[in-house]
Amino acid sequence: MGLEEKIPSGFLLTTVEGLAGYARKKSVWTVTFGLACCAIEMMSAGGPRYDLGRFGMEVFRPSPRQADLMIVAGRVSQKMAPIVRQVYDQMSNPKWVISMGACASSGGMFNNYAIVQGVDHIVPVDIYLPGCPPRPEQLEDAILKLHEQIQQTKIGANREKEIAELEAKALVAEPVQDMKGLLR
Amino acid sequence: MADLPPALSGFWVTFRTMFQKVVTEQYPEQAAKYPPKPRFHGRHQLNRHPDGLEKCVGCELCAWACPADAIYVQGAANVEGDRHSPGERYGRVYQINYLRCIFCAMCIEACPTRALTMTHEFDLADHSREVLIYEKDQLLAPLTENMVAPPHAMVAGTTEKDYYEGKVTGATTEQREEVAHREEAEEADEVVDAEASS
Amino acid sequence: MTAQAEGEAADTDLVHAFIDGQPVSVPKGTLIIRAAEQVGVEIPRFCDHPLLDPVAACRQCLVEVEGMPKPQPACALYVSEDMKVKTQDTSTEAEVAQKGVMEFLLANHPLDCPVCDKGGECPLQNQAMTAGRTTSRYTLPKRTFPKPINVSAQVLLDRERCVNCQRCTRFADEIAGDPLIDLMERGAEQQIGIGEEPFDSYFSGNTIQICPVGALTSADYRFKARPFDLVSVPTTCEHCASGCATRTDWRHESVERRYAWEDPAVNEDWNCDKGRFAFKYLSENRLTTPLVREDGQLRKASWPEALRIVAARLAQAGSRSAVVTGGRLSLEDAYAYGRFARTDLGTDNIDFRTRPTSQEEQDFLASRVAGTAGPTYADLEAAPTVLLVGFEPEEESPIVYLRLRKAVRKHGMRVFSIAPFASEGLEKLSGELLATVPGSEAATLRSLPDDVAKELRADGAMILVGERLAQSQGGLSAAVALSEQTGASLAWIPRRAGERGSLDAGAISGLLPGGRPITDAAARQEVAKVWGIEALPETPGLNLAGIIAAIAADEAGAAAAEDSEEEYERSIEALILAGVDVSDVAEPAALQRAIDDAPFVVALDIRPTEVTAAADVVFPVATVAEKSGTFVDWEGRRRPFAITFPETQMFSDATVLSLIADNLDHDPAPRNVPALRAEIEALGAWAGERPDVPQVPAPPASPAGDNQTAVLATWRLLLDLGVTQEGAPYLAATRRPSVARISAATAAGLGIGEGDPVRVGSQTGSITLPVAVTEMPDGIVWVPTNSPDSRVTESLGVGAGATVSLSRPTDLTEGA
Repeated sequence: MGLEEKIPSGFLLTTVEGLAGYARKKSVWTVTFGLACCAIEMMSAGGPRYDLGRFGMEVFRPSPRQADLMIVAGRVSQKMAPIVRQVYDQMSNPKWVISMGACASSGGMFNNYAIVQGVDHIVPVDIYLPGCPPRPEQLEDAILKLHEQIQQTKIGANREKEIAELEAKALVAEPVQDMKGLLR
Repeated sequence: MADLPPALSGFWVTFRTMFQKVVTEQYPEQAAKYPPKPRFHGRHQLNRHPDGLEKCVGCELCAWACPADAIYVQGAANVEGDRHSPGERYGRVYQINYLRCIFCAMCIEACPTRALTMTHEFDLADHSREVLIYEKDQLLAPLTENMVAPPHAMVAGTTEKDYYEGKVTGATTEQREEVAHREEAEEADEVVDAEASS
Repeated sequence: MTAQAEGEAADTDLVHAFIDGQPVSVPKGTLIIRAAEQVGVEIPRFCDHPLLDPVAACRQCLVEVEGMPKPQPACALYVSEDMKVKTQDTSTEAEVAQKGVMEFLLANHPLDCPVCDKGGECPLQNQAMTAGRTTSRYTLPKRTFPKPINVSAQVLLDRERCVNCQRCTRFADEIAGDPLIDLMERGAEQQIGIGEEPFDSYFSGNTIQICPVGALTSADYRFKARPFDLVSVPTTCEHCASGCATRTDWRHESVERRYAWEDPAVNEDWNCDKGRFAFKYLSENRLTTPLVREDGQLRKASWPEALRIVAARLAQAGSRSAVVTGGRLSLEDAYAYGRFARTDLGTDNIDFRTRPTSQEEQDFLASRVAGTAGPTYADLEAAPTVLLVGFEPEEESPIVYLRLRKAVRKHGMRVFSIAPFASEGLEKLSGELLATVPGSEAATLRSLPDDVAKELRADGAMILVGERLAQSQGGLSAAVALSEQTGASLAWIPRRAGERGSLDAGAISGLLPGGRPITDAAARQEVAKVWGIEALPETPGLNLAGIIAAIAADEAGAAAAEDSEEEYERSIEALILAGVDVSDVAEPAALQRAIDDAPFVVALDIRPTEVTAAADVVFPVATVAEKSGTFVDWEGRRRPFAITFPETQMFSDATVLSLIADNLDHDPAPRNVPALRAEIEALGAWAGERPDVPQVPAPPASPAGDNQTAVLATWRLLLDLGVTQEGAPYLAATRRPSVARISAATAAGLGIGEGDPVRVGSQTGSITLPVAVTEMPDGIVWVPTNSPDSRVTESLGVGAGATVSLSRPTDLTEGA
């Protein structure tokens, strides 16, 4: 943004954060990126019946540099993985990722050697969206949850503090393999 | 309007559309106006018998039927004082990984007791993989007025078969008392624990 | 076809018959159902089992036999010459008969397959699905019983599901010799049941496995998982030297159950309850990270840190190190220890025998056992006479017991046992006791009654010696002498699964892999070539007793040097302990002192123990479920096992040792099982000369005790307080009760009767147990070695043959 560097730290930031968040969330541009069946639902969500334009995101950008959001729609094959990562790397910050559908999120029913078992192995994912494929409303729901997250994003010194806090928390977090629930 | 010059006919289409009904679904503001079709496959639900006991017997047939290996079940024996379902066995652990689940409903077909059905709920998106593994307490159907929360005994004088034949219609006074008694005891324990820790 | 039938095929004529029109030639005395299997015709069956006597109880195998008026059970009819059999494949009569039987079997069978533990692997379910009707014609209520009931703590009986095939009762009676369950009542009420005693057989788990319906289920596995969600791995039982093939079923990184797996040459179809139910120790209370001692406290450390510390200290200590391994290692791991000690440390101070031992035993093992192929289970089954010395097969090697029992039943094998009293196991073998005071086994062996000696001269006779004979001076020497005198073959049967492998792998001082004596230059050269080193230690190092003594001497020497302010060089600077339990040895206090006194102790173990608590560096290692490997059973037969949890993060002992070698900047040691196996194969067994057999004379006859003292006899029961049995409450509930056995005269002398408590005391402590008056020589007391209220090494600090005091515990309380 450039703005956060110019203002004194801790000063006015809550309001600025809110304003920046509002601006960011209302103009999320998605990179055109369909991998499999989920992409059909994603396209449908862009059509008149579901109309993503209502959220200021009707523009699907074929150029990653102009995009803020990558919706990984479909299973990611091992061969596709480097390309997915390259597209992500080409996007400029701030950027977000929605993992759409079971296959992108975890490999789904394709638990085999050919499919990446969750796109979070190669890019950081903000929202996981179950479904096979998820209906457009589900995608809209995921997008709205992402909007909420964008709105809450801190900037400047607050963001740095938040990152430090999150890192400290992650260091003492319970490893996933130890989360047993009712298992014994 | 066929006689309009071709250059204008396109504008006519645009103009005419302005008077047509808007097809856009206003999700989420008017979500209730567009409910899914009756047989839509949404989030699962673990049903209960009319008195609140669980229908799930922990047989794992749903897990076996699942093509995505999204379900994990572990059974356990109902014992005196810790009964969760009629009969010998109940599902102690019931997990569905919604990031594997493909909502194909093979599990629903496999369920021998009609314990597992699907709801119309679909707004499941979330921020991490862990929270999308739903545990039994998240999947169980809510208690209605006639039900009390297990563990509690079966309706006195009935067998497992009576439950399946629909002869049990709701929780009896005995069951309510048993559950109320248990909850009181648990609360008392908590108070004792709190006092001990303070 | 049984081994016996195979043996007969050579000398009897074959009979020729037709099954579904196919000609078949089988030895006389073959059942139709087996003959049909040979030509690929499967006749459905429930009660039939190849290792049980035919009974024709379920009638599912009905077939049409030409010339017989009615359908006949194929599982109980022997093939005769020119017999023409038509099965369900070609005969409508047979098919109709079988469907009718199926309908009858299902008439009262509950349809609770979804909650039944057998569901998914149930012969009745499978056959009902393939050959049964889709709907039942029976509309009346089914017969019901309360369910399930416990026939023992670990076996549950659901009588509704039972089809009265009697597989369980026949197994208990014929195979295990514990006829504690039987058919009760008559007619529609006919059911399996127990009398007053529960079905506490050491082999009860097998009935769960062979039950063709879900009538017998396991309390431990109850509702844990379904068969279709389990991953099965072929494994070898790690509990004793019988070497049973087992199948480990697991899911979610946890072993859910174990089954016996078929291996006709070893365990046939059976295993014991310990092998079946004792597996919780694999996952409970584990060490997961290396620990290092800092300021007197153990703390978690990273692998590189712990390895660096160990490498630095071991480089300093060099050949002034010693290695002690427990008897539970796989062949490959034991080999890795032996190799590590000799190549990386340059010492021969190594011993795997963490139990009461003797130099005599070590000499015996070197001369007669290490790297040899001894008699097999088949030889055992064929033997006309077997002499047991210091060995209780039912308690110490259950599959040997089953083979002995089979031989006793099939051809009247005679069993003699040199022991203080006739145990339950010996009685079930119809064995004859040669009553002997512990300690004088050698004397008994050297003066056997003439008829026993004569029997032992028979072709194929065998002498089975247990590891306990090592405690009896001259016993092994006498056994070897007897074997040479009579021509009876001699087999040494240790208790633990890793003992024979450790011996063959050379994890003992004085012996290199394959039984090569370290004193033999040619043997050293062979090994040095494979290990890629210049030279090996030339003289035998210290064994366990020697190591303990050396550390004690060091400590005394160091203390003296400190007083006179001189430099003292210790002979043992570093001690490496792998899976050692202090209470296993004859004198636990001495070993514990050695561990405390040793300047640097490295422990490799799967779980925290007294040893790891006293160690300076602790490495966690893999359990048998987390590694592949090989056990060597008492025959010397290799019993490989596959890894159960392929995604484990744990390292095997061999891998840890190779990592230490890397940190020592030594040549890389073989790190994985294939590489280790290749080296072991390359070495093979020693073909050269072996050391002489020990010639230890029998000790002077030890006087039996009087009223106040007695000679201690003790051995371990199969189910006891062993660490591998932890976490298995149902198994523990079927333990035999802890009792002290004394003769009637001894009891009378003490003035106590059956069931009264008796106190067995030594200088270090005492054990108080209820008395079981037993027919045995006077002045002997027997107590279990490691059972509840009876931990002999810890409480008494002495072993079998020692003199202990006997008293009435009330005397003490009155005095106090």
